[in-house]
Amino acid sequence: MLRTYNILTAIIALTGSVSLFISGEINPVFLFSLVVMIYGYFRVVKNMPQAPKWTINLLSITTLIIFLLDAFIASDDYLVSVANLTILFQAIKSFDLREPWDNLQVFFMSLLQLIITSEFTNSILFGGIFIVFLSSSVSAIILAHFIKIGLKEKIVLTKPMVLITLITFALTTILFISIPRIAGGIWGKGHKKGIKTAGFSERVNFGSFGTVKLDPTIVMRIELSGKERKDFYWRGMTLDYFNGIMWENTESGRRLIYKREGFFTIKPFKKENTLIQKIYLEPIDTEIIFGIPLIVAIETNSRIISMDETNTIYVPMKKNKQLFYTVYSVDEPIYSGFIEKKYLQLPESMDRIKELASNIVKGKNKTLDKAMAIEKHLKEKYSYTLNVPEPSRGMNPIDDFLFRTKKGYCEHYATAMVLMLRSIGIPSRIVTGFYGGEINSYGGYLIVRQSNAHSWVEAVIGNEWRKFDPTPAVSVEKPSIIMLYLDMMKMQWNRYVVSFSSSDQKNIFNLLTFPFRIPDMPDFRLKKIKDILSFVLIALIISTIALLIHKSSKKKHYTYPTIQYIKAIGILKKKGIKITDKMTSTDIRRFIKKDGLKEKVEELITMYEEHRFGKKTLTHEEKKRYKMLLKQIKAI
Amino acid sequence: MANNLLNQLQSQIEIVIKGKSNAIKMALLTLLSKGHLLIEDIPGVGKTTLAYTIAKSINCSFQRIQFTSDLLPTDIIGVNIYNPETREFEFRRGPIFSNIVLADEINRTNPKTQSALLEAMNERRISVERKTYLLPEPFMVIATQNPVEYHGTFPLPESQLDRFMMHIKIGYPEREYEKQVLLQPSPIEIADTIKPIITSNDIIKMQKEIENIEVEESLLDYIMSIIAETRKDDRIRLGVSPRGGQFLLRVSKSAAYFEGRHYVLPGDIRELAPLVFGHRIILKTKSYISDAEKVIEDILHKIPLPL
Repeated sequence: MLRTYNILTAIIALTGSVSLFISGEINPVFLFSLVVMIYGYFRVVKNMPQAPKWTINLLSITTLIIFLLDAFIASDDYLVSVANLTILFQAIKSFDLREPWDNLQVFFMSLLQLIITSEFTNSILFGGIFIVFLSSSVSAIILAHFIKIGLKEKIVLTKPMVLITLITFALTTILFISIPRIAGGIWGKGHKKGIKTAGFSERVNFGSFGTVKLDPTIVMRIELSGKERKDFYWRGMTLDYFNGIMWENTESGRRLIYKREGFFTIKPFKKENTLIQKIYLEPIDTEIIFGIPLIVAIETNSRIISMDETNTIYVPMKKNKQLFYTVYSVDEPIYSGFIEKKYLQLPESMDRIKELASNIVKGKNKTLDKAMAIEKHLKEKYSYTLNVPEPSRGMNPIDDFLFRTKKGYCEHYATAMVLMLRSIGIPSRIVTGFYGGEINSYGGYLIVRQSNAHSWVEAVIGNEWRKFDPTPAVSVEKPSIIMLYLDMMKMQWNRYVVSFSSSDQKNIFNLLTFPFRIPDMPDFRLKKIKDILSFVLIALIISTIALLIHKSSKKKHYTYPTIQYIKAIGILKKKGIKITDKMTSTDIRRFIKKDGLKEKVEELITMYEEHRFGKKTLTHEEKKRYKMLLKQIKAI
Repeated sequence: MANNLLNQLQSQIEIVIKGKSNAIKMALLTLLSKGHLLIEDIPGVGKTTLAYTIAKSINCSFQRIQFTSDLLPTDIIGVNIYNPETREFEFRRGPIFSNIVLADEINRTNPKTQSALLEAMNERRISVERKTYLLPEPFMVIATQNPVEYHGTFPLPESQLDRFMMHIKIGYPEREYEKQVLLQPSPIEIADTIKPIITSNDIIKMQKEIENIEVEESLLDYIMSIIAETRKDDRIRLGVSPRGGQFLLRVSKSAAYFEGRHYVLPGDIRELAPLVFGHRIILKTKSYISDAEKVIEDILHKIPLPL
C-alpha cells in the first residue's frame, strides 16, 4: 500500500511539473529539476534511503534565497519565479519523503503549479493533466488515511477510489458550472507571451521584401448565425498616412461606447437583420476588435469599449488573454461624413503613378467607375506572389511593384490602389484585418488564421466609404480532416471551459427551467441549448456507464435469491428493526418476533437459503413468490 | 424423520438435565460428527449425568474413568492377563471399550496416561502386543477439565486439545431450574428410568447420512477466511490447524442435519466456530479457553458473511 502511495505521489509531482512544461515557460531550471525529480522518485519507489536531513535543509534554504533574489531583483514576472521555486522544491522533496506529511507537501506544491499553469495556458492538455491530478490526489488522500490508521492487511480500494474520484469530478464540474464568473484570471494580469503578429499588424510596412511565410496560427474562431453574407472581411483598423515605405494611422480621437443591457450599442438595430458573429480571439498583440462591417453592437465581458472616427473599435484587452465577444453587424456601408484632407495625402514623386491612374480611368466620369477600373486593372494585370524580389536600386518599392515586377501580395495591391485613387483625387485608405477563413464542418464554425491577414481599400464614393479589394484571388490549401477535428476539440474546450461565462450559466439555468416555461426563445438560443444539452447528455451517459460498470462488478456475484434477500433486509432495516450485516440468516430468523411479519420473513429466508445454499433451482413461480413476499413485508 | 428422533432425544435428555438444551445439543452434534467433547467446567453441574443420559437414550454402553495422578494407561485400555487354564495371555478390555466414555478431570493424570487415551480417541482402535482391538461404534469420549483448580494438574498440550472436536461449558443452571433440582431425586436415578429412543445403529446410520449434507462453495471460503484470520491475528500465537477446519465443517453438517436440512448455512458455521476453534488457538497472553473464544468471536465479526 505504501508503494502505491509513493507511486501516486510521484504521479502527482509529475503532473505539476508537466503542466508547467505545457505552459511553454521552459527554462534550464525546469529541465534540471525535472530530471533530478524523476531520479528522486525512482529511488523512492525502489525504497532506497532518503537523503540526510541536513542536506535537504541546506538545499531548501539555498533555493529560498535564490528565489528571493530571482523574484525581487532578476525576474520581471513573479509567477515564473514562484514556478521555479515550486519545481525546485519538488525536486528536493523527492529525496525527503519520510512522513505522510511530506507527501502532502508535494500535493500542495503540485496544486500550486497547476494554478500557476492555469494562468499561463489555455491548452486543452491542461484539462487532461488536471484530471490526472484530481484522480491521483483523491486516491492518494484516501490511501493516506488508511496508512495513518495503520491498516496492515491488504484491502481492495480500487472501487471506492474510482467512485470517489468520479464524485469529486462531478462536484468539480458542478462547481465550475455554478460559481459566479469573474472576468480574467486569478492574478488579473496576463502572462502568456502573445502570438507573434507576423500576419496582422497595426502597421503596414511596405519596404519589406523576401519570402513571406504564411503563419498558420489560429487567430480567431467564429460561430456565425443570423443574416448570411457572401464573403467575410473581418475589418480591423484603417491606415491613412503613407511615408513611402510604411503606412500609419494618424487617427487618435476615440469616443466611449456605453453599455446598455449588456450591449455596447453603436447604432440602433433590429436583431433579425444582423449577422451575429461569436468570436473567440486568441491573444494577439492588439486592442482592436475584428468584425464584419458595419458593426452595430458588441456583447462582451469587458467594461469599456471605444471607437474612433474610422469605425475602428477598441477594447482594453488583458494583454495575453483570450477574448470572447459577440458582434452584431448589418449590411450597410460606412457613412463618411466630412472627409479630411489626410485621405488624399501622398508621398513625394508620385507622378508616374498619377499618370498610370489617369490612363486607367480615362473616359470614366463617375467616381465609382474610376475606382472600379483601378481595382479591375490591378486584379487582372498583376499577379499574386509571396516571394517579393528585392527592389532595384534607386527605385521606390511601389514603383518597383507597379512597373517592374508586377508581382506582390495584398499590401502591395492595396497600397497601389490607394495611391492611385488619391493621385486622381479620390479620398481613400488602407484597411487591415482578416479575410475569409476555413469552415470547420465538424464544429460548424469558422477558423481564421494569421495567414488570413489581409489588407484592402476603402474609398469615398458619394458620402460613403466603399470597400475595394484589388488583390487577385488565391487558391488556398485545404487543411486535413484530422486537423479540423482536433481544432474542433480545441474550440469546444475554449468555448465551454476557458470562456464559460455567466450567460452560459443563465442558459443552463434556462435549460433546467425549460419544461416549466413557454418555449418562445429565438432560434440561435435554442441551438446553443441543444449544444449544452448534448454536452450534458454525454456527461450523463459517461457517468451512467461508469456507475453501471461499477455496480455490475459488484452485483455480478449475486444471484436472484440473494438480491431478494438483501432487499428484504433493506426493507426490515428501514422499518427500524435493528438488523446488522453481521447477522446470519439464522440470526435474523430468530430476531424477528412480530407476528405476521415473522412468518413472511421466515418464508423468504427459507426460500433464499434453499436456493442459495441448498442448490435448489429457481422456478418462475418462486420468483413471483419472492416479489410477493417482499411486497407483503413492506406492507406490514 | 431423523431430526424428529433427534429432537425427541434432546427433549428426553432435557428431562434429566434441566435448562441446558444448548450443551445437550452440542454433545449430540459431536456424537453425530464422530468427534469427542471437552467440557471445561466446575464439578457438580451435571457433566457425568449428561454423558450417562446420552448413553442411556441411545442404548449404548457407558463407562466413567476418574482420572487421578496414579492412573496407568492399562487402567484405561486394558491389560494382558495370563490365564493358567488356557496357558495363554488373555486381553482384558479396559473401560475405554465403551460407546460413551466419560474421562473425568483428564488433567489430573500424568501425560503418559493422557496420551494413551488421546491416541485411542484418534485412532478408534487399541494395539496391545501386536494385536489390534477395534473400539465399539459409535464411540465418543467426553473429557472434563476443571478450569479453576490447577494445583497438581497436567494441563493438556495443544496437540492433544486439537483432537477434541468441540469444547463446551455447562455452567450453573438458572435459578428456576436449580430450585427444581433441589427437590428432585439424584439425576442419575432419573436417568436410570428413561428408555432408549434410538439405538446405536441408528446413530451410525445418521453419521453416514450426515456425510452427504451439501456444502456450498462460498461456505468453504468462509471457513477458510476464518482460519486464515486466526493465523494472522495479532493476539493469537498459534492459529487453527487444518484439522480444526475439517471438524468445523463436519459439525456444521451435523447441525444442518439436526435441523432437518440437507445443506449447511452460514449461520451453522458462524454459531459453531467459537466452540470448535476456541480450544485450538493459543493466545499470546496466558488465558482460559473462554478468552480464546472471545477472540474467535471478534474475528467472526470482522469477516463478511457469504450472502
